[in-house]
Amino acid sequence: MSDRALRPGARAWALLTLTEAKLVARDTAGLVIPLGLPMLIMVMNGLGSDGTRLPDFAGLPVLDAYVVPMTIAMVVALIGVVNMPSFLAAYRTTGVLRRLAVTPAHPAMVLFAQVMVSLGQSILGVGLALGVARLAFDVSLPREPLVAVAVFLLMAAAMYALGMLVAAIAPTTNASVAIGLVVFFAIFALGGGFGGRGNLPDFLATAGAYLPFGAGLDLLSASWMGVAPSAGQLAALAVTTVLAGTTAANLFRWT
Amino acid sequence: MPVIEVDGLRKRYGDTVAVDDIGFSVEQGEIFGIIGPNGAGKTTTVECIAGLRKPDGGRVRVLDLDPLRDRARLRQVLGVQLQHGMLPDKLRVGEALALYRSFYRDGADPERLLAELGLTAKRKTAFDNLSGGQAQRLSIALALIGKPRIAILDELTTGLDPHARRDTWELVERVRDVGVTVLLVTHFMEEAQRLCDRIAIIDGGRLAALDTPRGLIARAGRGGRVRFRAAEPVDRFALKELPEVDGVSRQGAETVVTGTGNLLHAVSSELVRQRVTTTEIQFEQATLDDAFLAITGRAMEGDPDE
Repeated sequence: MSDRALRPGARAWALLTLTEAKLVARDTAGLVIPLGLPMLIMVMNGLGSDGTRLPDFAGLPVLDAYVVPMTIAMVVALIGVVNMPSFLAAYRTTGVLRRLAVTPAHPAMVLFAQVMVSLGQSILGVGLALGVARLAFDVSLPREPLVAVAVFLLMAAAMYALGMLVAAIAPTTNASVAIGLVVFFAIFALGGGFGGRGNLPDFLATAGAYLPFGAGLDLLSASWMGVAPSAGQLAALAVTTVLAGTTAANLFRWT
Repeated sequence: MPVIEVDGLRKRYGDTVAVDDIGFSVEQGEIFGIIGPNGAGKTTTVECIAGLRKPDGGRVRVLDLDPLRDRARLRQVLGVQLQHGMLPDKLRVGEALALYRSFYRDGADPERLLAELGLTAKRKTAFDNLSGGQAQRLSIALALIGKPRIAILDELTTGLDPHARRDTWELVERVRDVGVTVLLVTHFMEEAQRLCDRIAIIDGGRLAALDTPRGLIARAGRGGRVRFRAAEPVDRFALKELPEVDGVSRQGAETVVTGTGNLLHAVSSELVRQRVTTTEIQFEQATLDDAFLAITGRAMEGDPDE
């Protein structure tokens, strides 16, 4: 008998992912911020928007070219950097991962399931935001939809890798939420979340442009405008994914 | 044929030696107890057997498998109930069993297991809404869901009230009755005495004794203790002088005399001679507690949850 036959099969992976999805859905309070807050900011901006098309944004209104991409980046960042690590940190501190370690299931299965569920949650959040943007404010679709999808996935990978790093270094659940929020606000502020990066000192603005939030925001914005994405920012997302992911894998403790 | 063999096991954490040259073997179908005070090395020993820790030295074989190298194979036949191993708060009883069942190639029927453990009515209850006893029963169910050949139960009844504790004991006996070998880690002497076929006493990382409960108690001497309440002051010095008596102490309003031989008769006669009227005089056979005291030189610590 091979060791492969001794490991849980596809059914177990699917059931674990489904179970994680139920647990995330039952954490109602945890859904409010990542799904509600970006939507609120978008709606506030939408109501204040006069739909003026700006030459700076390739002839798109600021809502389409900047606010909607920022909303998407916020959803992905909050879920990836704040919510997902809080689940994983709780699983470690309460012994959930330890309990799994004495079954044929490897605790890494939970990480996989959490990433899948977080991705699903991000897609749901982005779908809701786009639906509202389209119906209420007649926001246009990206001129380069495939680029938008690719950027979304790459940005999600970078955010989840960063989230794994948060989960790896956080000693407790509370610490994980605190560290996650600090990381979120750092990349959010530097990335232009509190107004354009132009108001920041040069070196901070540059750093912010290559951190996952700023890079994701700019790349999504480019896909809406239909201009070429910046190779440097694409590379920055890929490098973040690899660096944060491998560091997290090395630091992650199961118990 | 032994199903668990431990030989010369050593494990240290930094400068602290947790396990120092422990060896024993567990036979097929028995309930084997590991007892000892907190920090004695019980849990470390069990974690080495379960393949959760890498020993610094010695040999561990479980069903002729190496717990670390043959990890995947061992997981299919070893059920573990951990002292610190929990479930997510919002996970429901039925979901937990279905999920854990999916991890094993061959396993028990979740519905039947729920019924046997009296959890059927709690199937839709979230883990954090279970009482201590219910959570413990679920934990046992999860240890048994893969139809293991060996079940490791670590501090099974810590935190349970006496009634739930007795129910759990019956459950463990039923598990053994269907042929599962049980490795039971506990610091309750009564539990070990009631359930175990053989007991290893671990103290300070070493194996202090290994015998049947009866054998261990016999080592403590064939004695016992007499407890009584006296209406008048007792001449304790005279009691201590009796050849049958080893020691005299006071526990609250009670006087406790330990010793051997015909202790009750000797004590009663002496009290009559002293013209002391007693109430509630009773003789207690030596227990595993006495054996533990005799073997390790100290009393077992009380349960902080009690």
